[in-house]
Amino acid sequence: MRAPLLLLVVSYAIALIGFVLIPGVNEVGKAIHLTFFQAFYILSYTATTIGFGEIPYPFTNDQRIWMTFSIYLTVVAWFYAIGTIISLFQDPALKQAITAASFKRAITHLHEPFYLICGYGETGSELVRALDKNELRVVVVEINQERIHELGMTDYQFNVPNLCADAKNPDVLLCAGLNNPMCQGVAALTDDDHANLAIAVAVKLIKPELRMLARVENDVVAANMASFGTDHIINPYKIFGEHLAMEVNSLGTYLLHQWLTSVPGDIVKNPPAVPVGNWIVCGYGRFGKAVVKSLQQENLNIRIIEADPKGTNCEACIVGSGVEAHVLQEAGIEDAVGIVAGTDNDINNLSIVMTALEINPNLFVVIRKNRRLNEPLFSHFNADITMQPSDIIAHACLSYMVSPMLAAFLNLSRMQSNSWANAVIARLVMAVGEKAPDTWGVRILPTHASAICQLLEQGHTIRLQHLLLNPANGTEHLAIVPIMLVRGDEKILLPDLNMEVQPGDRYLCCGEDSAKSTQNFLLNDMRNMSYLVTGLELPETYIGRLLLRRKQH
Amino acid sequence: MNLEKVIFGFFIILAMTLNFGFFVGDIDNPNHHLHYELYVAIVVNLIATILKFGDRTQIGAIHLATSLVADIQLIAAAIIWAAAGDSGANPEVIVGVVSLSGGAFLANITSVVLLIYETVTLRR
Repeated sequence: MRAPLLLLVVSYAIALIGFVLIPGVNEVGKAIHLTFFQAFYILSYTATTIGFGEIPYPFTNDQRIWMTFSIYLTVVAWFYAIGTIISLFQDPALKQAITAASFKRAITHLHEPFYLICGYGETGSELVRALDKNELRVVVVEINQERIHELGMTDYQFNVPNLCADAKNPDVLLCAGLNNPMCQGVAALTDDDHANLAIAVAVKLIKPELRMLARVENDVVAANMASFGTDHIINPYKIFGEHLAMEVNSLGTYLLHQWLTSVPGDIVKNPPAVPVGNWIVCGYGRFGKAVVKSLQQENLNIRIIEADPKGTNCEACIVGSGVEAHVLQEAGIEDAVGIVAGTDNDINNLSIVMTALEINPNLFVVIRKNRRLNEPLFSHFNADITMQPSDIIAHACLSYMVSPMLAAFLNLSRMQSNSWANAVIARLVMAVGEKAPDTWGVRILPTHASAICQLLEQGHTIRLQHLLLNPANGTEHLAIVPIMLVRGDEKILLPDLNMEVQPGDRYLCCGEDSAKSTQNFLLNDMRNMSYLVTGLELPETYIGRLLLRRKQH
Repeated sequence: MNLEKVIFGFFIILAMTLNFGFFVGDIDNPNHHLHYELYVAIVVNLIATILKFGDRTQIGAIHLATSLVADIQLIAAAIIWAAAGDSGANPEVIVGVVSLSGGAFLANITSVVLLIYETVTLRR
């Protein structure tokens, strides 16, 4: 930094003194000297290569010799100085310092509740997309620079502050807003179990009451996490096994589950009915084990094909990879009703299923998809069930983050009958349409539903249907279905619309995005709410209120 | 014998001495104040300022501050003299120029005092 500036000053000084000392001639031939200011002016437009002309009179030969020398001297010095200053601003260390500082500032200025997501791989990106659609703020920490660039290029509704750093480092977590009172929870979604464990430990030590969700695939690490109180441990294989079991015996419950945990606005496919009979499972890793366990619980006959029986502790299985036809035939593919391709290689899975379908075209296909980049292959193939671990984890996290009541609702719904679930779905579709709905919680508290609380204090009776009224037309309902009421310790599924609303109630509502914002506005707007409930118009102005009070006395 | 310290000290004291040389003399007499000396004083002051960049200590910060003060005052003096143009020899103009250079001189003295203090406490 100093060298170019020094060179600039010295070169200017030398050139300047020459211009002042060497005499010029005016129009009558008398020798005149340039003043310092004139010399500085000439030098300025010479060094910066602008070049106006020779002032105040055309130069003599000696002056021109000196001018030539100064041009070469000062222009070079000027370019050198500018080049150095520009490269200084492009210094990577400086850029990194600026990025980290602006990230910290973005976090301190985040005055909305937000979630901290560690890991922006396939799971993280799906979860961030879902949270963004649900209007929840997110902060992302990811160790890989390319994925951070991908995040920068994705079009999200809200600004997602992100940092390229190692989330295992507690300093990074603190910098990303762990101690910020607006932080609602941390999700550790990296693909390294031990990194997730380190993040969970850090969070539980620094802020024990903060909600912590961790993705984990190894049971030992999962037990470790559970020991110090990680709130939600998500094992995608176990969850998929549970889903598969739900699909076998209660399709309606499964569909309801999928509907409520998808990204709002996505179209949820109708799940196919899983046939009962002989099944073949290729690959006895964590995925295969979970699938076999849940299918066996449904009393299905299973034959396992595994390439490495010792490594996976497989007791009674056929050795092979399942890609060759003769191995499949040995497992009895001709009389099987379904096949599960569960290895950790997408191409192998596709190959297994293609080979199997050649022998037995009526097979029910369950295929595991590992990488999102193979999406075109899988969507073209259109298997009956495609399992993607990242989607499962993301949807599980979403159900905990969107509303804590949602997880409770889903747990309770699993204990209900299949026909109950189908009835709920029918009601939701009628009210909301075919796309996945938004889910949110409504709390009857002075801070969240001030108009309702005021009306309750005044002694009016508020029924559940009043919370759903459309302000444009006082008798129609908004496209919302309340699916659960939590009153104290009591949880009521699908509350009746005529039920009375009490202060402190919490409702889990499901519906369109526009209906959500209308309802939110309405619950806090005294004027509209009192008209809808009592039918009386409250005056807007101070004078109006004064006159009303006079009339009432 | 540290070459860098020699150069540093050299330019700081040279800046102060040239400044004094320009300043001394009757305040309203243009014959007592040589414009070449103002020019050299400005150049050497700029060099001294650049040499003071990059020092992160408290004393370094004050050094840089005094240098910047001196620079501003000397450059202001040069601008006034250039802007006066033909009436550059008028007493009012000369008084303005010389008083500004006097202010710069005080700033340079402060810088030299700091330099002496630094040297004396760190005798090695």
